[in-house]
Amino acid sequence: MNDSSALLEVRDLKLGHHSKRNGKLSLAVSGLDFDIRKNELIVAVGPSGCGKTTFLKAVAGLHPVLSGELKLDGKQITGPGVDRSMVFQDSSLFPWLTVMENIVYGLKAQKRYDAAGKARAEWLLDLVGLAGRGKAHPSELSGGMAQRVNLARALATDPELILLDEPFAALDAQTREVMQEELLRIWQSGGATAGKTAIFITHDVYEAVFLADRVVVFSAGPAHVAEIVDVTFDRPRSPELKRSPEFLRQADEILSLVMSQSWAKERMVTA
Amino acid sequence: MTATVQLSHQKKSAAPTDMYEKLRPKSKRLRNRSLILGVTGIVLGLLIWQILASSGVVSSTFSSSPIGTAGALWTMLTNGTLWAPVAATLASFGIGMAISIVFAIPIGLILGRAPVLRELVDPWINILNSVPYVVFLPLIIFWFGIDETSRIVLVVWSAAVPLLMSTIGAARNLDRNYMNVATVFSASRGYTLRTVAFPAILPYILSGIRLAVGRGLVGAIVAELFLGAVGLGSLVQVQTSNFEMDEAMATVTVIAIIAILINQLVGLVERRFAYWADSS
Repeated sequence: MNDSSALLEVRDLKLGHHSKRNGKLSLAVSGLDFDIRKNELIVAVGPSGCGKTTFLKAVAGLHPVLSGELKLDGKQITGPGVDRSMVFQDSSLFPWLTVMENIVYGLKAQKRYDAAGKARAEWLLDLVGLAGRGKAHPSELSGGMAQRVNLARALATDPELILLDEPFAALDAQTREVMQEELLRIWQSGGATAGKTAIFITHDVYEAVFLADRVVVFSAGPAHVAEIVDVTFDRPRSPELKRSPEFLRQADEILSLVMSQSWAKERMVTA
Repeated sequence: MTATVQLSHQKKSAAPTDMYEKLRPKSKRLRNRSLILGVTGIVLGLLIWQILASSGVVSSTFSSSPIGTAGALWTMLTNGTLWAPVAATLASFGIGMAISIVFAIPIGLILGRAPVLRELVDPWINILNSVPYVVFLPLIIFWFGIDETSRIVLVVWSAAVPLLMSTIGAARNLDRNYMNVATVFSASRGYTLRTVAFPAILPYILSGIRLAVGRGLVGAIVAELFLGAVGLGSLVQVQTSNFEMDEAMATVTVIAIIAILINQLVGLVERRFAYWADSS
């Protein structure tokens, strides 16, 4: 791996939660070790409850690092920063703001809302397919549309690294498919989204293979890297890819990796 | 049984789905029905009252009657004896409410977000909330005298506590998701408070204000009953002791109308500023 192009370095990372009841520490992530290169779309999959979301929150600066390195551009992450933004699972749009006001929220919070920012927000609204809906309120949007706004809001601040925490998990299967294609379209569109690095968390291995440059399979909790799978399909990727034998073979491979992690966990519990 | 189960299920998914749209006309019909029934109920009540008074079943010397009350109300409106008391009551109520809102909301926000401070103050708020505030009236008179100040203090005393409590509750239960968004975007503490925390809890604050308005009005009237100052409360007392039952009932009617109007106003503000919250 070419170290100079690593955007995010994860070295022997340890994360945990303190129980509210007895203050006991339970580890969510332990000995996590991998790099993310610039412009890469990394998808993290793993058994449920393995610590994927905790890891993402730590990268966002929402969760403290217990030990180990978590370096963005060579600097240890100690809190949130303007170089990162996050697409949340659902119901995180502010219902008291319009769609456009939601999109520019980050820019305004960072005091960067100027003519260029406004133009960028308009462009993003158009890009996510909601042109003309800027004055609508989130309550008037469907789940898929709300997640488009969520994505536009994360892109508006022009971050180096975008974190997506199961953004399509709450959507119905059909909308989820559409949104995956939309995400790729936006990703591959160039312009203001060019050169973005992203970490996408999901439990859907087909989603993972369809979107990712590399799929990082997390072990059962406390999570470490069980396997990193390169996904080499050419971009731009089209929905037809999902029906190709090679795609299904790779998805199966990752699914069995995830499943073996789940089994390992089951065994640990019953033993 | 099944009907109620279905209803609660529909309520759960009452988000902006098509189902909700379909439910709309029905709920409008229900609203119209409740309006018609409400008006009918009022008219029926007045009618029974009038019949009881006219037939002599109850003495109109003690009970007045709707017609007598209406006549007295008309006289008081036309000869102007009503305006000074209305102005006095509204003044102490208005000033008291303004003070309550200006102080209780920011303090409530801070206490809601600062657990240590809150736990320190919590017992005091509980005491103030549990003990009937009227009992403090003699003390308030002793401290602030028998003029306007005492009346305002009692309005604040009665209105600020429920407002403070609902603001604290709202700030405590602030949705973590919303706060995380602000944090991820590196919003400053002040900006987060102003653009996320405040609007997120505004619906709860407004329902706190609704509660406070009711309590504050009671406070204003009770203060007048005790202090005998100019005002609607003392007017009722004077009229009753003069056996002017028609006039006393007319004044009570005015108080009722004012109370309802203020409540409607708060409801209007709620719909204007908290339109996005489904509870209203």
